[in-house]
Order: sequence, then C-alpha cells, then structure tokens
Amino acid sequence: MLFNSVAFAFFLPVVFFSFWFFFAKKKNTRYAFITTVSYLFYGWWDWRFLGLIVASTIVDYYVGLRLEEATKTDTRKKWLWVSIVFNLSLLGFFKYFNFFIDSGWQLLHSVGYTGQNAWTFSILLPVGISFYTFQTLSYSLDIYYKRLQPTRNILAFAAFVAFFPQLVAGPIERASNLLGQIIKTPKFSYPQCVQGLKLILWGLFKKLVIADAIAPIVDDIFNNYTSYPSGTLILGICLFSFQIYGDFSGYSDIAIGTAKLFGIELLSNFKFPNFARNVAEYWQRWHISLSTWFRHYLYIPLGGSKRGQLIAIRNICIVFLVSGLWHGANWTFVVWGAFHALLYIPIFLMGRNRIYMNTVVAERSWLPTPTEVLQLVSTFLLVTFSRIFFRSPSISEAFAYINRIGQFSFDSQYQHPYGYRMIDYYILLVLFVLYEFRIRRNERNPFPFRSKYVRFVAYTLVLFAILLFYDDAVDRSFIYFQF
Amino acid sequence: MKILLKKTILYSICFLVILEILVRIFHLHKDTPKRYVDTFEVEKWLPNQTGFAVTGNRRQNFSEYRINQFGFNSYHEFDPKPDRYEVALVGDSFIEGFHQPYRKSIGTMVEEELDSIQVYEYGYAGYDFADQLHLVHAYDSHFRDIDYIIFGLKFKNDLTRDQYEVQIDRLRLDSPPYSWLKQSKLLVYLQSIGALDPFKNSVAQLSSFTVSFLQPSAEKPALAPTDTISKHALYLKNFRTLLKKYPVNLSKIAFMLDTKETPNEFLIYLKTQNIPILNIGEPLSESKMPTTLVYDKHWNYTGRKIVAKTIASYINRIK
Repeated sequence: MLFNSVAFAFFLPVVFFSFWFFFAKKKNTRYAFITTVSYLFYGWWDWRFLGLIVASTIVDYYVGLRLEEATKTDTRKKWLWVSIVFNLSLLGFFKYFNFFIDSGWQLLHSVGYTGQNAWTFSILLPVGISFYTFQTLSYSLDIYYKRLQPTRNILAFAAFVAFFPQLVAGPIERASNLLGQIIKTPKFSYPQCVQGLKLILWGLFKKLVIADAIAPIVDDIFNNYTSYPSGTLILGICLFSFQIYGDFSGYSDIAIGTAKLFGIELLSNFKFPNFARNVAEYWQRWHISLSTWFRHYLYIPLGGSKRGQLIAIRNICIVFLVSGLWHGANWTFVVWGAFHALLYIPIFLMGRNRIYMNTVVAERSWLPTPTEVLQLVSTFLLVTFSRIFFRSPSISEAFAYINRIGQFSFDSQYQHPYGYRMIDYYILLVLFVLYEFRIRRNERNPFPFRSKYVRFVAYTLVLFAILLFYDDAVDRSFIYFQF
Repeated sequence: MKILLKKTILYSICFLVILEILVRIFHLHKDTPKRYVDTFEVEKWLPNQTGFAVTGNRRQNFSEYRINQFGFNSYHEFDPKPDRYEVALVGDSFIEGFHQPYRKSIGTMVEEELDSIQVYEYGYAGYDFADQLHLVHAYDSHFRDIDYIIFGLKFKNDLTRDQYEVQIDRLRLDSPPYSWLKQSKLLVYLQSIGALDPFKNSVAQLSSFTVSFLQPSAEKPALAPTDTISKHALYLKNFRTLLKKYPVNLSKIAFMLDTKETPNEFLIYLKTQNIPILNIGEPLSESKMPTTLVYDKHWNYTGRKIVAKTIASYINRIK
C-alpha cells in the first residue's frame, strides 16, 4: 500500500481510530493489532512475501533469547552468526543472487569462457527487504553487544519489525528506540498528532509536487540523453537530485508523521541535506538512519578511526562501498559509493568531517555568507554529479552521459515531454529551496510559524500547490521501494 | 481526541472552501455548457452559452467558447441563404473545437482562405456517424440551403452502430446529481486533472468485486466482434444502413478522414459511390511542426491551419 494511494487514505483513519478506541490500552491486543494492520499494509502489495517478514521475525526473536541466555562468547558469536547469515541470505538471494551470477559470468566471458549462463532466475524483489532485514539484524547485534535486553513477547517483537509506517522504506529503526515505545502503553497526545498531520502534509507535498512533478522530465532526459545537449543533461541530473530528495524525504516525513499519530517517535531520516556545507555533513543529513546503521554496526566494529588513519580510510571505503551495494544490485551503485568515499576521505583527513555536526548553515543569521553559499553549491554539485551513476542503468551509460555533458553544447531550450511550461517548475524549485532554508533548523516542524493565521496560509498554499502540480500520468511509487 | 476530531473537520471545511475560491479566482476549472435533446431528438448544447474550456492543470490550454442559437460552438449564427455559398462541417470534438478560441476555429480559417463563403461547424464531442447523419436528416430544410457538407469521420470509432438513438450515457452528464456536483469548481478541476480517477477506480474495483462475489455465475454479455476483418465488415455494413435510413444528397457531401487510418475496402466503397474524400492524414503527417496539442490529441493552431487549407483548396476546386 502506498502512502499516496486511495487505499491508504481509508486505511489510516480506520486504523487510527481503532487503535485509540479499542487496542491502545491492553499490551497484547495492541501488539497484535499493530502486527495485523502492518501485515495488511504490506500484503496489499503482495501477500506472498509476508512469509519473509514472519521468518525474519521468528529467527531474530529466537536468536535474541538465545543470545541473552548464552554466557560463553563463542556461543554468543554462533547465535549472532545465525542472525547475520539468515538475514543476509534473504537479502542476498532476493536482491543480489542474479547480480553476482551475472557478474561472475561476465568475468568468465572476459577470460575467454564461452558457456551459457543458465543460473539466473526470475526473482521478484520483495519491497522493503533491505530495510526490515537491517532492522532485525540491528536487534540481534544490539543484544550481542549488550546494549539491549531482548523482549520475551514475540507479538511485541513482530510489531517492532513490521510497524507499517516504516516497514517498506524506513527510517531503519533501532529496537532501543522503537521497541521500547511499542511496549510502553501509549497516551494520546493532541500536539503530537497535530505534528504528525503536519509532517504527513509536508511529506505529501514533497512527494506529489516536487518528486512526481519532476519525474517525467528526469525520465525523459535520462531515457533520451543521446539526443539532448549538455545544458539539458545538467538540468536532468540537477532535477533528479530534487526528485530523489522529494521522493525519499517525503516518504520519511509521512512515515514519521504517521507514527506520531500512534504516539511513536521514529528516528529522523533527513535534515535538509541540500544545505550541507561539505560531503561529510551531507551524510549526517541524508538517509540518517542508514548512515548511522553503518556507523554503529559496520564502521565501529571494524575499528572506526581509532586504529590509525590507514585502517580508518579502509573502513570508510568499506562502508561507502557496502552502502552503495545496499542501494541496489548494480555496479553503478558501487561506483556511486566509491565516488562518495573519495569525496569523504580528504575531508576526514583534514579533520573536518565532524565540524558541522551540531550546526546549520547561517546558524545565527537570515542569510548564508558568500563562503557558505560557495560551500553549499559545491557540495550540491558534487553530490548531484555522483547521482549520474545512481540514476543510470549501467556504468557505460553513466560515462556516456558524462561525456555528453563534456561536449558543452547549450544550443536549445528544453521542452517538457508533456508540453507543460518549464518555467513553472523552475519557480516551484526556487520557492521550495527558499522555504526549506527558512525552516532548516528543525526537520520535524515544517510549519514553524507562531501565528496560526500564517500557518493556515502555509497549509493552504501547500494544498493548492498539490492541486496545481498533480499529474495523473506519473508513476506514484516511491523510488526507494526498489531498494 | 475530541479536539482533534473537531479541528480536523473544521480545518478540512476551511481548506475546501478556500481551495474552491482559489480555483474559481484563477479559473482553473473548465466550464461545460449544458446539453439537451431538442424536438428533433438531436442532442446538442443549449443555445446562447459562453464559457472557457480549460485543459490540464495550471490552465495549460485556455480557450473561450460560444454556443450559438443553433446549439453549436461558433461565432456565426447558422442562417443558410440560397444566395450565399455555405459549407457545413459536421463532426465530433475536433470540429466542435472547445480546445481553441471560437474565433480561431477551422471554419474561420477556411473563411480566411476563401472569399465570400461561410463555414458552419456542427461539431459535438462524441458525435459518431449516426449522430451526424441524423442531425442532417432531422434538419433537412436547414441543410438543404447549405451548398456543401463535409463529414469528419474516424472509421474505427464512428461506425459502431447502424441506427441513431439518443446517447443516454452522455445526457446523464447533465442529470441533476452531476449538475449539482458540477457546481463545485474544485471538484470539476480535480476530475479534469485525473485526481479523482484513483477514487473512481477503487469504487469500480470494489463494485465489480462485489458483483462477482454475489453473482459468481452471472452470464457475461455477448462480445462485439474482435477480429479486424469482421469489425471492418460490420462498420461498412453500418455505414450503408445509416445512409439508407437517413438519406442525404450524395452529390453535395464529402468525407474528411485520414486514409492511413481507414481500411481500403471503405475507401473503395466511397469511390464506387462517387463520394469524394478529403485526406487530412497526409498533409498533417508532412508537417514539420507538431499538429496536436501536447497534452491532448486535438489539433493545435498548426494542425487546424493545415486542415483548413485542405478544406479550402477542396472547396475552391468544386465551387
């Protein structure tokens, strides 16, 4: 079920009222209710893959209990490996099996082998598998590192794994945050619900107005890049930056907002990454739940930065390459990750990777300084450039796209594939960037105006923008569902 | 919870009212004239209406229409006189031309190409050949004074029936519930940009599911012929039947069509009957500029100009 679908528009109010009127108070009924509606939410897409979530839930629940019982380190390690192997096997088979087989065959062909590849299957990628496997894995890892006590209630654990707002595209939650909240008896909070509704509205705006409105332009430019001049290709990749941001952060906002309606606070996933002053800050603001996951469960266990610079650089490379591969079974994502590692390492070596951790651009002023503007623009351009690999179907096509940009031809003005006025989109994006700059201090409060009248005008304008830019020809699914 | 419910309802009502006002202020919605069936059982627009046809979101196409006393979109009043050369264009939405300002219609362009001629456009969205012939037949005395009639015909769409009957489904669009809903311009706008389609599809899916659940053994309706050859044969038969039922003077009619989209047997039939053809497919496809609106299949200014020139040169030859 998509957040922007009719089904969800009916599903959410029914679930919301049922939860607070009938199921919120008693523990087990609450867990059972959350689990059931979450399975319904997921099964709406394809019920056959529910088995994977159930299996992942049972295995990690059991592993969690065994990890707590075991006293010997070897036994604990053994149980941890059960969880790691099981979850990564699920991910490996459904997401990477064909990719590695194909890559292996290509390697064999390159050394002269002429056999035919009969090993690949037609495998449908279960939506959200990368998200919930990482979530359950984090549960086992936290228990292993003794940061968490396992739950003894399988229904509570099932509700944690399947909690529908964040099931299919995150934020990837930690049990220490989400499970604790699910177990605690929730209290209805009017301000929290209002905040949730505001986030849902803002998320819908980012998805329907920013991402969906731009999508046909980006698709057109990337599908026909050989017939467009450099200027258009630059436009295409810049717009893709906004599209993917609107799409994914819009999803996260709706997820966080929806969770708030049930009294649950999810982790923040985006903190205005377009206003990052260097690539390190960008990664502290983009897909935060994934980058912190890799930091906690991969970078630090590998030694982090405490075992010398060479080891730290190796660890950074591993994290970015794995992060790239996490996004999809394609070498383009690995190259994208490698490119980010190359951008990150110099910042790390200069010791500037954590200098912007607790500040935002133009912290104490209305406008950024010229230096900050330069930093913002250069970071945006570098990140945007990397997305050529992210968006292209193959590495060769990504390089062909870059080559064509290098021809520096700016001879014709781009026309929208459906004939819409392009100026509308430019104005929209400028206003969007300016507005996000205005609200950059708090990603959880998209309408931070004191006057209720100003807030009301802002809501109305957002709704009106949705009316103006709604396009029924657009595929409404979220980009990160494919990951 | 009570406060949340109250405020949600209050805010929703306020948003709806304000959005309705904004849609009206910026005229994002399309106006639709009222339709009716006259005493001759001809379906057309109620006379003397004006408004603006809007296509797409953000007013991608915005054009004024004017329904004349006869019930069609035109700057003319249709008043054929024996001492003046008049041409009638009869067809569907392409002739009706709500997607264009009514003063820049195909008929106007033809008049600009030729001196001392008046072109009357009897266009109505959804008119098929049965509608067109019935109109001409019903208003026999009116059309008798018109010197030449050109029918716009799409073989694949316009010959599916062999008898004229009032299209109830189309008239239902002006029934009281629809008329009442059309009072909300916000709703009209949402409908026109396809924002209501997901709701409508969901309702349709639900109702078809309910029907199949309640009546699993319900008999399926007989299907129309699906193979191309039988379809073509049926359409040709319908064409002949319609001409027999609603006879017209074949010496003063022509068919405007795209020969590439029309089967050969039909073209041959017209030839054997000495009915002239105006092939608009060729000049339209030869154009270096796009000939249709980008968000709509109707002709744009270039397309209309090409069609008008084709008609004008034909009229010039036969006049």
